Amino acid sequence: MWELRCESLGKRFGERWVFRGLNLHLKQGMVLMVRGANGSGKTTLIRLMAGLLAPTEGRIQLLQKGQPVSDRTRWLGWCATDGALYRELTAYEHLHWWATVRGLTHELSAAPESLMRHLTRFELTERAHERVRAYSTGMRQRLRIAIATLGAPPLLLLDEPDAGLDSAGLQLLEQVIYEQRARGIVVFATNRAESERWGDLCLAMGA
Amino acid sequence: MLQEWRLRQGIVASLLMGIVTVVGVGFATLGEPLEVGLQAGLFWIALLFGLFPALARGFITEEETGTADLLRVGARPSAVFWGKWLFHATLYCLLSLTVVPLYALMIAPLQGDWLGWLLLWALGGFCLVSVLTLCGALVARTAVRGALLAVLTFPLLLPLLLLLIAGTKAALQAQSIWGALQGILGYALMMSAGAAWVFDRIWRDTM
Repeated sequence: MWELRCESLGKRFGERWVFRGLNLHLKQGMVLMVRGANGSGKTTLIRLMAGLLAPTEGRIQLLQKGQPVSDRTRWLGWCATDGALYRELTAYEHLHWWATVRGLTHELSAAPESLMRHLTRFELTERAHERVRAYSTGMRQRLRIAIATLGAPPLLLLDEPDAGLDSAGLQLLEQVIYEQRARGIVVFATNRAESERWGDLCLAMGA
Repeated sequence: MLQEWRLRQGIVASLLMGIVTVVGVGFATLGEPLEVGLQAGLFWIALLFGLFPALARGFITEEETGTADLLRVGARPSAVFWGKWLFHATLYCLLSLTVVPLYALMIAPLQGDWLGWLLLWALGGFCLVSVLTLCGALVARTAVRGALLAVLTFPLLLPLLLLLIAGTKAALQAQSIWGALQGILGYALMMSAGAAWVFDRIWRDTM
């Protein structure tokens, strides 16, 4: 049973507070939608949860069966808005590399057939062995989501994953979110009003 | 490594820098016998100048493309450090294969005990690569990277360079290199223990 707790969380850059006093308690099966205007702190919150930023005040804990895990980066999948891909690697190589650094190589999810099945799910099979620099924006976004979901992490952090996706991609993303409910928690930052219906809770940043 | 190898920008820049250094000095001193200390100094300067372009690029490119965050989320800091180190060490070997014969041809033949030369090259390379890998990571997240890299590496490299030059000078004069080698070995032990430890702290040093 997984839980994510944010207690009196606040983040400041220089003199500017992005937000403060944020309290959250998410349990397994919950989807939190984080919405807000540009610059409202959505990405900052996602990055804090991913451990890429340190909170100015408060704390974040990922708990497994009531006990905080020592390094929550081991248990999360993170999808950035842009970047975070190696242009000279192929989609398959990205997944294989991610499986290796995550220590998934001994598991079924890291077998070549399994990696190809995972890419098929994200409609990247046909170009699985082409370098990412030849991919469109939508394809790169699909690959980021594919990497984030490899190994079925209990905490899925998605920073505007709907950006650049076509209607088929959005349907796929919706499916990914609903599947994640069964095994963990989703925190999903978005600018699209239509995506908000995918969440159980909605957090409005900058309000 | 695959990304850097396929991109080849850093590798080509390094090789070019090393070759230009040796060829430039070679033509400038054509026909003139160089003092042993100068020969020793030019040997290591050529290798160092060759290493700088790729080493500076490594972590800086990762930060600029967003893949550094992916590494922070996915991989253990030690795995990141030694992975980068391995690429830089491979580059050092490639550079040596090109620069050293050119140096022997254009500036001064490598006289003396081959085992001594090999030990100096191997230990010196280990230390150079470790220092520059660590400093590359330190400056990658700052705004004034280029200038800071030079400022940061200078006090770390200077004692090492002095030891390497002293050892090389002794090797060229067929004298015992043991004194210099002891210093370099101590430096290497310090770097192997300290570099990964320092990197672990700076890599995850979240803002």
